[in-house]
Amino acid sequence: MNPFVAWLSRLSVYASTPAIWGIFLAGAAIYLIANWRVRFLALLVQYLFIGVIFERIFDSRPELAFLKILVGWLVGGAVFLSARIREENHPEAQEHRLHWGANVPFRILSLLMMVVAAYLASQRYALPFIPPDLAPVCFVLGGLAILFMGTEEKDTAVVGVGMLNLLAALDIFYSVQDPSLVVTGMLVMVNLLVGLVISYLTVAEVVE
Amino acid sequence: MTLPGPLLLGIPIVMAGLLWPVRRWTTLQAWLAAFTASLVGGIVALAPLNEPLTFRGVSLILGRPLYVLGRQMLVEPVDRLPLAFIFLTSAGLFLIAWRLLPHSNFYSLGLIAVTLLAAALLVEQVVYAALLMEMAALLAVIPLHEPILLPNGQRYGGKVQGGLRYISYITMALPGLMVTQLLLEQFAVMPNDQGLLQSSTVLLGLSFAILLGAIPFQSWLITVAADGSPPVVTFLFTVDLGATWFILLAYLNTYTWLGQQSLFGPFFTALGLLMIVVGGVLAASQRQLGQLLGYSVLVDNGTMFLALGTQQVTGLAFTMLLLLARPLTLGVMTLGLDGLRRLGNGDDGPEAMRGLAWHAPWRAFAFLIGAVALAGFPPSLGFTARWGLYHLVAAHSGWQAVLALLGNAGVMLGVITSMHVLLAPATPHKTTDHASQDVVVIVLIVLLIGALVGSSLFPQIPSRIAYHMAEGFSFFR
Repeated sequence: MNPFVAWLSRLSVYASTPAIWGIFLAGAAIYLIANWRVRFLALLVQYLFIGVIFERIFDSRPELAFLKILVGWLVGGAVFLSARIREENHPEAQEHRLHWGANVPFRILSLLMMVVAAYLASQRYALPFIPPDLAPVCFVLGGLAILFMGTEEKDTAVVGVGMLNLLAALDIFYSVQDPSLVVTGMLVMVNLLVGLVISYLTVAEVVE
Repeated sequence: MTLPGPLLLGIPIVMAGLLWPVRRWTTLQAWLAAFTASLVGGIVALAPLNEPLTFRGVSLILGRPLYVLGRQMLVEPVDRLPLAFIFLTSAGLFLIAWRLLPHSNFYSLGLIAVTLLAAALLVEQVVYAALLMEMAALLAVIPLHEPILLPNGQRYGGKVQGGLRYISYITMALPGLMVTQLLLEQFAVMPNDQGLLQSSTVLLGLSFAILLGAIPFQSWLITVAADGSPPVVTFLFTVDLGATWFILLAYLNTYTWLGQQSLFGPFFTALGLLMIVVGGVLAASQRQLGQLLGYSVLVDNGTMFLALGTQQVTGLAFTMLLLLARPLTLGVMTLGLDGLRRLGNGDDGPEAMRGLAWHAPWRAFAFLIGAVALAGFPPSLGFTARWGLYHLVAAHSGWQAVLALLGNAGVMLGVITSMHVLLAPATPHKTTDHASQDVVVIVLIVLLIGALVGSSLFPQIPSRIAYHMAEGFSFFR
């Protein structure tokens, strides 16, 4: 077995609460810290924890969980490399950072509300098909996705991360019931395309 | 060797790969893309379903299913006209884009996108159709925001909010469709659990409302129309939205209990009227040409929902007729809007557009004729469809027909405002765009306006096609 896959298998014991906290804290870092280096590292960490969750779902085929991590890292790298190019070339980047500073209290409040909403939703609405200890992951990822897509429209890279989070939530939910290779493969394709398109849109807005 | 029909979709994929390296030669790219799309569209529409088509010893039977890892793809009789529609519309748009989008990715990515949409029509399970539609939408966004170098050295097409919002919304529609698949599979095991049916109805309805830009999810329609490159916007509003409509109808056909629910008719009627009224009111107050186009499409979609809400084959035929009319109207508008935006250096607001009809009369004329047609006024096929629909709706409820007419009149008010701006006294413009005097573009405008007027004067042929398409869907019988 690939040593990384074996290592991932050992991590799968943390597939419930620790992984959920890991995913949430990484998402919070992406939301609160407007620096592409920090965001990139946070996304790497987030995908590692998402991979841990997948390792539990694909317990007989841990390679697939490893594939999900690799795809996430690849897409994250592409998205944040584009964000770097945009930050270097876009004249509004500095202004955006100042604007971001003024928004921090709102962001913290939004995150807290999202956590509370995700917690209450996971307590009150039992998701069908999925084990109860994995359901909060879907709510947290879905909540982060709504937060990123709904409040960060000016920041293409963060909207892209929101889309990736929504796809990850859907992937976890769907794979529990139907872990077939076709759906897994198509979702990988969708993730790669999202990465490609978001990277393109991030740099396409740069005015030469 | 005898090949199954869905393998026909390999032709545009291969051609897209071949077109990629020849982006330098726009004419070659555009004509090859148009030829490929029309070839596939023509074969799907005209070839016999169960007899082999033989070429150099290789046979293809259109009606033979293709199995991919146990999943079936099949060209059924009901799929043929929808497939032909999306491929032939794409072919027309590649030709329209020929002089508007030089060295663009649109030709190769457009071919792949239309193929993915065709595959979504052929595949049976909701989950695969949803994922294929998502992929098609993602690919179409790249040419939507390709910057174009203007004659004055500036770049046009810099805003990306339209594409971003579009893919965000399409991604949000994905969970509903995929979970519907799981619920339907569970319902097959537990047929007495009506809760599963109700949940899947709600999820499917919500997802298609997002995909079709129904209220309250209409914001992507407007932003795409305001920010995107006009030929690609037209591709999204005709091919992408057209395929989405056909997939919705295919599901209503497959899962007949969806169409038999008591709330089906009132729901679609109310949604359609809401879209027409809100779209009409907002269109009347628009001062930007792109946004006017977006709201006009919202009203057009609402009219299609209203026709579906009649729960009659005739109503469905009017939906089809409106869908058939859209490529012509939006094609003419595209040619106009693209040239006007270039002259306005990417801006289509009233200040930039003031008096432009005197600088680019053909472009302004094309935009206005297309807009009048999209508002459902003569000369257009849309008028024919709406007139019939108003009669059909008025037979049950007069006020619904009046509301629909008023909504479309709102769009017409927006068009009159635009006309007023474009025909304002001429102002000296610093930039001149040679593309707006391009003879080929003017010939295309004349041809499309001729087709638009011709289809409104002789609506029998498109009406017959629309009725034939509607008859293929049996859920209202």
